[in-house]
Amino acid sequence: MSDITAVLGVIGSDCHAVGNKILDHALTAEGIKVVNLGVMVSQDEFINAAVETGAQAILVASIYGHGEIDCDGLRGRCLERGLDKVVLYVGGNLVIGKRDFAEVETLFRGMGYDRVFPPTVDLKEMANLLKQDVAARS
Amino acid sequence: MIVACLDIGSTWTKGATFRVDGETVSLLARAARPTTVVNLADGFFAVLGDIVEGDPLAQLHDGRLSLQYSSSAKGGLAVAAIGLVPEMTLEIGKIAAQSAGARLSQVFAYHLTEDDIAGLEASPPDILLFAGGTDGGNTNYVRANAEAIGRSSIDCEIVYAGNRSVAAEVGRLLAGKRLRIVDNLMPVFNEPNPDPARDAIRTIFLETIVKGKGLDRIMAATGAAPVPTPFAVLEYTRAIHAHVPEWDSFVLFDMGGATTDVYSVHQEMPDLGTVLRGLPEPEVKRTVEGDLGMRVSARTTVEAGEPEFGDAAEALRCYAERVVAQPEFLPLTPEDAALDTRLAAVCVGQACRRHVGRLATIYTPDGEMKIQTGRDLRQVARVIGSGGWLARAADFDPAPWFAQHAVDARGRLVLFPQHFSYYRDADYLFPLLANLARAFPAAAAQAGIRLLQD
Ligand code: B12
Repeated sequence: MSDITAVLGVIGSDCHAVGNKILDHALTAEGIKVVNLGVMVSQDEFINAAVETGAQAILVASIYGHGEIDCDGLRGRCLERGLDKVVLYVGGNLVIGKRDFAEVETLFRGMGYDRVFPPTVDLKEMANLLKQDVAARS
Repeated sequence: MIVACLDIGSTWTKGATFRVDGETVSLLARAARPTTVVNLADGFFAVLGDIVEGDPLAQLHDGRLSLQYSSSAKGGLAVAAIGLVPEMTLEIGKIAAQSAGARLSQVFAYHLTEDDIAGLEASPPDILLFAGGTDGGNTNYVRANAEAIGRSSIDCEIVYAGNRSVAAEVGRLLAGKRLRIVDNLMPVFNEPNPDPARDAIRTIFLETIVKGKGLDRIMAATGAAPVPTPFAVLEYTRAIHAHVPEWDSFVLFDMGGATTDVYSVHQEMPDLGTVLRGLPEPEVKRTVEGDLGMRVSARTTVEAGEPEFGDAAEALRCYAERVVAQPEFLPLTPEDAALDTRLAAVCVGQACRRHVGRLATIYTPDGEMKIQTGRDLRQVARVIGSGGWLARAADFDPAPWFAQHAVDARGRLVLFPQHFSYYRDADYLFPLLANLARAFPAAAAQAGIRLLQD
């Protein structure tokens, strides 16, 4: 049993709720404690939750195509608010239209996300990566 | 049954005797005298003598009379709250303190600074409510704050209601201080649990604060224990909600010289398509504004109302300077009365503005969405004004101020009551009936509503 706590939510004005529930189940099944903020979550809400719960990771989902705008600046805000070790993941339909995933990955890594996932990600594998990344940070 | 009810306020000690026959309450006598700050018991027993025929203590002892009383004298019950994130554990700490009838003297989020500690050392509250972190959550801030408090010379009661993973450690770091450890006020994220902290504050009030304020003399002579006035009024609000048909939701303003209290009972039922953000709201809520009041706080009230005063700003500033040191001042000229009314509108309006929530409309590719934070009192149909000024003000109506401030600077809807009847506690009996309600909740609730004026 790991004692990882991860904050989960769909960022911005995005109300796609289904993927969020699936992620919650998948991570919980892998022994990760999930603090699920649901849909339409602001950057500050992610951070507030992570501060109070002592979460080691924040998992941001963006499904509706505005990820590029909504997700930018989260890393800086985390640093500003004292979350200097937090692991940041992002996934979903991050940009509008069909862009090459490698390009999308570079874009979001540039924003400070530790890992970037396409919709086709295997959630069990993702959970394992998360455990490794958290262990490496602490 | 005859019940003597007294309320020791910061300027007046008020009292009334009520006869209770089943569900009917009749007022037998009432009196008020200036509060005797040096020794609260003097004013208390003088008023008790005024409202009871014969020897009150003898009647108390043989059971012919019973007694309930509250106090907000000598600064009331001052609580400083320490939380982690302002919108989370600090917010719940504020709710716990305010619902225990306390006045928030200081609030702190994140790390306590050297200045914060110095401030607490220089003017310690009655109680320090110390929280932060969910159970199993953040420990760094809590530990650092506990260390800072432990090293300091802060001398007051401390209630720890934070992350239980570090509770034992906090106990060690604060060894030698008067510390009580209770359940976390947010054990699980977004699930507020203010009651254990609230209960601890009440117990400490009874066990120690009462003595410090000189209320122990009254307790010793009468055998009855006091509560903080706002605590009694909050519970009275709950009693009205429970026992009076059609009063399951309402707002009560208690405006005084120093503070404006807002109490509301309301069940949140968000519309479909509205997303709720932030902490879930309690059904019964009290907020108190220490900078909004008609006399002692007149200066800060003018500051809070400044932007809307226009040409009248200077006149209001001068007026505030005149009344600030005179708690008993009553306006005699029409000009002064008009200025007084403007101050009152700001007190009630701003206090309500801080009490209610906001609704933001955001435009998504999918069309409009609504995001609500805090409580939505738009459907609340009944509003009561109490406190000396509001009791007397037959023509006062808060509705125009609410309507003028229905949208905030960020374009969000301010969730004020929209269409409501305004009632007045014309005899200013609510604090006394709130005391009666401690023994007879249903009868006192019905009597209070019956006595209101439209
Ligand atoms: C159902 C749906 C809706 C419903 C949502 C109902 C609800 N409350 O959930 C409604 C009708 C409301 C809707 C609205 C819109 N939608 Co829509 N919607 C869909 C649809 C058909 C299914 C979404 C879904 O539930 N998928 C199933 C879940 C399980 O998959 P998922 O969300 O992708 O999540 C998984 C993975 O992506 C991944 N994942 C997701 N996040 C993360 C995060 C991390 C860290 C990791 C590791 C993994 C991960 O794991 C999840 C679980 O397996 C998709 C098309 C599709 N087939 O995907 C379009 C789709 C998502 N919608 C789209 C659009 C454009 C919209 C609207 C803007 C359309 C409009 N103009 O009306 C609005 C936006 C509303 C808003 N404010 O959010 C586009 C997005 C385009 C883009 N990003 O490039 C899509 C892809 C359709 C399309 N092909 O154009 N939508």
